[in-house]
Amino acid sequence: MAKYILKRILYLFLTLFIIATITFFMMKMLPGTPFSNQNRMSAEQLKIVKAQYGLDQSVFVQYIRYIGGLLQGNLGTSFQFNNEPVTALIGQRLAPSMQIGAQAMVVGTIGGILLGALAAIRKNTWVDTLATFISILGLSIPSFVLAVLLQFYLAYKWKIYPVALWDNFQSSILPTLALSALPLGTVARFMRTEMVDVMSSDYIELAKSKGNSSWGVVAKHALRNSLIPVVTIIGPMAVSVMTGSMVVENIFSIPGIGEQFVKSITTNDYPTIMGLTIFYSFLLIIVYLIVDILYGLIDPRIRLGNGGKE
Amino acid sequence: MKSKKYLLALLPIFLFVLVLSGCGSATEKDSKNTLAINSGDVIATMDSSMNTDAIGAQHLTNTMEGLYRYDGKDLKPAIAKKVVKPTNGGKTYTFDLRHTQWSNGKPVTANDFVYAWRRTVDPKTASQYAYIYSGIKNADKINAGKKPVNTLGIKALGKYKLEVTLENAIPYFNTLMASSTFYPQYKPAVEKAGKQYGLSSTGMVFNGPFKLVNWNVSKNSWTEVKNNKYWNAKSVKLKTLKYYVVKDANTGLNLYDANRINRYEKLGGDTARQVSSYKTFSMDKQTANFYLELNQKKYKFFRNAKIRQAISMSINREQLTNNVLGKTGGIEHTIVPVGMSYNPTTKVDFTKEKMLQSSNQYTEYNPKEATKLWKEGIKETGQKNLSFTLLGDDTDNSKKQNEYLQGEMEKNLPGIKITLSNVPFKSRLDKSTSGNFDIVVTGWNADYPDPVTFLDIFTTGNVQNNGKYSNAQYDALINKSKTTDATNEEARWQDLLQATKILTDEQGAIPLYQSYQANLTRSNVKGYQITPNGSYNLVTAYKK
Repeated sequence: MAKYILKRILYLFLTLFIIATITFFMMKMLPGTPFSNQNRMSAEQLKIVKAQYGLDQSVFVQYIRYIGGLLQGNLGTSFQFNNEPVTALIGQRLAPSMQIGAQAMVVGTIGGILLGALAAIRKNTWVDTLATFISILGLSIPSFVLAVLLQFYLAYKWKIYPVALWDNFQSSILPTLALSALPLGTVARFMRTEMVDVMSSDYIELAKSKGNSSWGVVAKHALRNSLIPVVTIIGPMAVSVMTGSMVVENIFSIPGIGEQFVKSITTNDYPTIMGLTIFYSFLLIIVYLIVDILYGLIDPRIRLGNGGKE
Repeated sequence: MKSKKYLLALLPIFLFVLVLSGCGSATEKDSKNTLAINSGDVIATMDSSMNTDAIGAQHLTNTMEGLYRYDGKDLKPAIAKKVVKPTNGGKTYTFDLRHTQWSNGKPVTANDFVYAWRRTVDPKTASQYAYIYSGIKNADKINAGKKPVNTLGIKALGKYKLEVTLENAIPYFNTLMASSTFYPQYKPAVEKAGKQYGLSSTGMVFNGPFKLVNWNVSKNSWTEVKNNKYWNAKSVKLKTLKYYVVKDANTGLNLYDANRINRYEKLGGDTARQVSSYKTFSMDKQTANFYLELNQKKYKFFRNAKIRQAISMSINREQLTNNVLGKTGGIEHTIVPVGMSYNPTTKVDFTKEKMLQSSNQYTEYNPKEATKLWKEGIKETGQKNLSFTLLGDDTDNSKKQNEYLQGEMEKNLPGIKITLSNVPFKSRLDKSTSGNFDIVVTGWNADYPDPVTFLDIFTTGNVQNNGKYSNAQYDALINKSKTTDATNEEARWQDLLQATKILTDEQGAIPLYQSYQANLTRSNVKGYQITPNGSYNLVTAYKK
């Protein structure tokens, strides 16, 4: 196991390096400069400012410098926010996105597991139909539509929650609900399919025939065995939810990272683009690693590193 | 057993209710001392040397003080004791400074100006606004690294006496002194923060009407409190300003309706149209506009004035501004916007001067005349290919606008075929500066409230002259206004009017519309006035 993890970590750095390289050269193909007054400066002035930021060098030299800095853990400073270190920028902006994302994942996953399990246990009844209906809604209604509806009814009309802005825990509830729809729908559907499968398997029949109460069987055997595919999808989904949604952040005026990423691209803020790409990739790779390790814990049949499956 | 199952079925609902509980009412009381306003974006920097955008300029205007301050459209002395008349042929300005303080109690001295200005033109600072210092003695050479910073034409003659030397007379120099790029800086605060200066309110000191508290560049909302050390603090009526970044139009409207923000400004076209019947709806003219440039280097065809006039007259600007742009734009007949500059003696708006009125016909919708001129122009130039690309931005507003322009031109100009190329802002800039376009929609924002900030663009060889319009007479007039007539306000004014007349008659650039800022303001908010440099002066604002 340890050897396996070590190997994976080595791959992690290799992957990050490749991603950084590709992103760097693609990013440099963007038209324009990172300077907001680009259209007002004369060619000479532009040259002076470019030289100050080392942008007058060839792309390859810039790349070598960037990778050099990266190896020392230096992500550089932002252009949109003059000289703000990218790490500080990500740090401050990430917290709200992470909080909402994490809350949405908790609500969505727990809700989804319960919903899926219920649908499977009560297969082909109205409970199943209702649960399926809810999960399809969750999957198909885009989060921004849900966000607008939630904002209009729960905040604007009924005044239960703040309309928007980032003040306290209450401010996080509507965005959490808006973002939790997708994980809820997805988890519920996976859960139902898997659980229906498990419920009809021999060992459940056996457990039942042994006289165990049906709820006991569900809790002890069926639920646990149905969780494997769910775990597979939860990881990557968590990354995408927690790294911020620009639309939901804009609707609720949350100082999150999702919007920052989009803005960094439209403003040619090279160091921020690189920093965020590397950070997102890192997160995603780590999550995949954790998911793979979790498999083994949930299902002892899957053991990694012993020449077995990966 | 059965009841247990139903309990389980209810669980998700319980969960939902659980989340709902623990939440009270979300309304807030409106206070007379606090003004809450939306902001289109975060503050990117509070460093007056580094700032380039309108948001930064607004918050510098709120929290800092320069030599002058705009009160409505009037330039009023601020740290300077009076609005100075230059000596030495318009090249020397000597300012007597008021005895004022920074928010930490230290005096604001002439040296604080010297320090700030030198820092801005220092190439090491890499300021993107240093070009505005061009014309101050040695500024360009210092910025290019060819002279040391201490040769800049600014000198402290005493603790409260400042002297500025220019290379040539700059007739609008006084208006520049109200803009945030020329504010003083408190050296110890700047040096302590180093490269991070202006990224967080920690350690910053202010000398303006308000102080920024608890802020950094990542904040989506921030507070400014009254600065009791401000020299004119007795005129400041508000105690607190609250700003909230709102990017979604519906959210903004909801916040405004809930009175969480007392003023919702810079509405987009669709929203503006939607609320234009509100009693609290208002529009502020901005010193910014959009115009068409025709690539006269690439096409001889576009060097024909009739063709340019035809294109201009084919566009119905009334429909464009009212229906397409949703009142976020207003009609302008010249490249100089309305409400920015006034005759030095008669105080008549530049664009309303008699001399220019006969030229208005070239920007009036006149499809018949357009068709006629178009045909004549084609005959004169012998142009065969009438397919052109219209380059523009890819925002919602500009896409709609470009489609409208395409429709109008194809309707009224026989044979023309317009292909749209809507690209991201930076891409548009790249293409227009490199001359890689046929027709482009260009926007410009005044650097200072004087016609020259727009007229300069269309002189031969100017970097921003994308269409490469060139007229020797025009160039001569602009040049005259800067040299022989630089110190003669009246003669200079006439030069600029004449130049504008040439540009408009020839449609060297085709004015489309002036940007208007659409706002909603609660009726109890008073004295919230826009100034000619685009910022609001909050010294005068109050709530009833």
